[in-house]
Amino acid sequence: MARILALSLVAATALLSGGCAQQPPGTVPAGDSIALVPIAFAAWQEKLAGYAGDIVVVDMWATWCVPCIERFPHMVKLHGRYSPRGVRFISMSLDDREDTIALDRAREFLVQQKAVFDNYLMDEGITDAFEKLDLLSIPAVLIYGRDRSLRFKLTGDDPNNQFTGGDVEEAIEQLLQEEG
Amino acid sequence: MITCSPVAVRVGRRAIADKFKGRKSMKAKYVYRVGVAAFLVLALAAVLPLYAGKFNTVVDIGAPMPAFSDLPATDGMTVSSKDLKQSVVVLVFLANHCPWVKGSEQDLIKLVDHFKGQDVRFVGVSVNHREDDRLEAMKVHSAKVGYNFTYVFDESQELGRKLGATRTPEYFIFNKDRKLVYMGLLHNSPSSMRSDGTINYTKGDPTEFHVKDAVEGLLAGKTVSVDETRAQGCNVEYVQK
Repeated sequence: MARILALSLVAATALLSGGCAQQPPGTVPAGDSIALVPIAFAAWQEKLAGYAGDIVVVDMWATWCVPCIERFPHMVKLHGRYSPRGVRFISMSLDDREDTIALDRAREFLVQQKAVFDNYLMDEGITDAFEKLDLLSIPAVLIYGRDRSLRFKLTGDDPNNQFTGGDVEEAIEQLLQEEG
Repeated sequence: MITCSPVAVRVGRRAIADKFKGRKSMKAKYVYRVGVAAFLVLALAAVLPLYAGKFNTVVDIGAPMPAFSDLPATDGMTVSSKDLKQSVVVLVFLANHCPWVKGSEQDLIKLVDHFKGQDVRFVGVSVNHREDDRLEAMKVHSAKVGYNFTYVFDESQELGRKLGATRTPEYFIFNKDRKLVYMGLLHNSPSSMRSDGTINYTKGDPTEFHVKDAVEGLLAGKTVSVDETRAQGCNVEYVQK
């Protein structure tokens, strides 16, 4: 009897720890809680590779970037519209990771915006982050195809062709239409 | 960024290859190749903006300083390019609201003081149309912080647009022939103001003082050794035509 009990305990433990309820580190449970998860550049690259199969829209933002804050609600709206069609939205904060006040503000903002997707904080020195991500400034939106190729890099780098919220929508539509 | 191209080509090649299935004439092959090449160019253009400089989509080193006229300054005067008689001109794009400007403006003020009485002119330029970056707010900000240089409002955004200035702060230095000899950062550790008012030098203490070195070099009749760096800061917002 004791043997059976011990065996079932082992089995139950294995089941709990291995199979079901464990969240891999760095993921955000959808819907019920919104977190800002620090992620280093290398881990971010791996994470991105793991999203294969989805169209991935990454909104690069920060609390210090006023236009980013202004555009964020549109991103949440697009998430609502396109996530049922296999489009995954992610926010990547380029806030100063040592500015605790800014990080608190970022978390509050995400909750207030009901940003129920994965929200990351680039866990690098901020200038290193920009260099590694190959960005000159934000707001910027990177859109990856289902095969993980970078298909759209929407930035403000060209004064005569800075992207708008409408460009994000068009880019997603284009990728969906390519699938027929 | 280049990683985008092969996939785009594959997509294009598939589509075009289907179209020409079973037709193997030289003409078809030629058309196919031209089609692939055209697709590649279009696909790249769709993904990547073209760059003139390493980090600037509009101008490269050697470009002439754009002429500008009657830009209103915070001191009530107006400034035109023809009024700038000094042998070296430094244009720096600023924005009151931007923490990267707030994090570096004391260093800029010290630098302007350092060159006081020398043959160089510093002009700050604000381009954004948001209320806290416009002329009235510029007057308040420059007085509060103690700007010791001319600070103008480029409301038409033409000066900023012609220089491809897309970040604040971003420095452009022109020699006595009014050719661009340097663009980019003040020094090699971009700094921003944190929420508690402290300054974060993102790469530690600066060790290379690009603007100072360039101006000193020009004043001494030397060529500028570092001509372009990667400016870091807030995006300049242009009205899209």
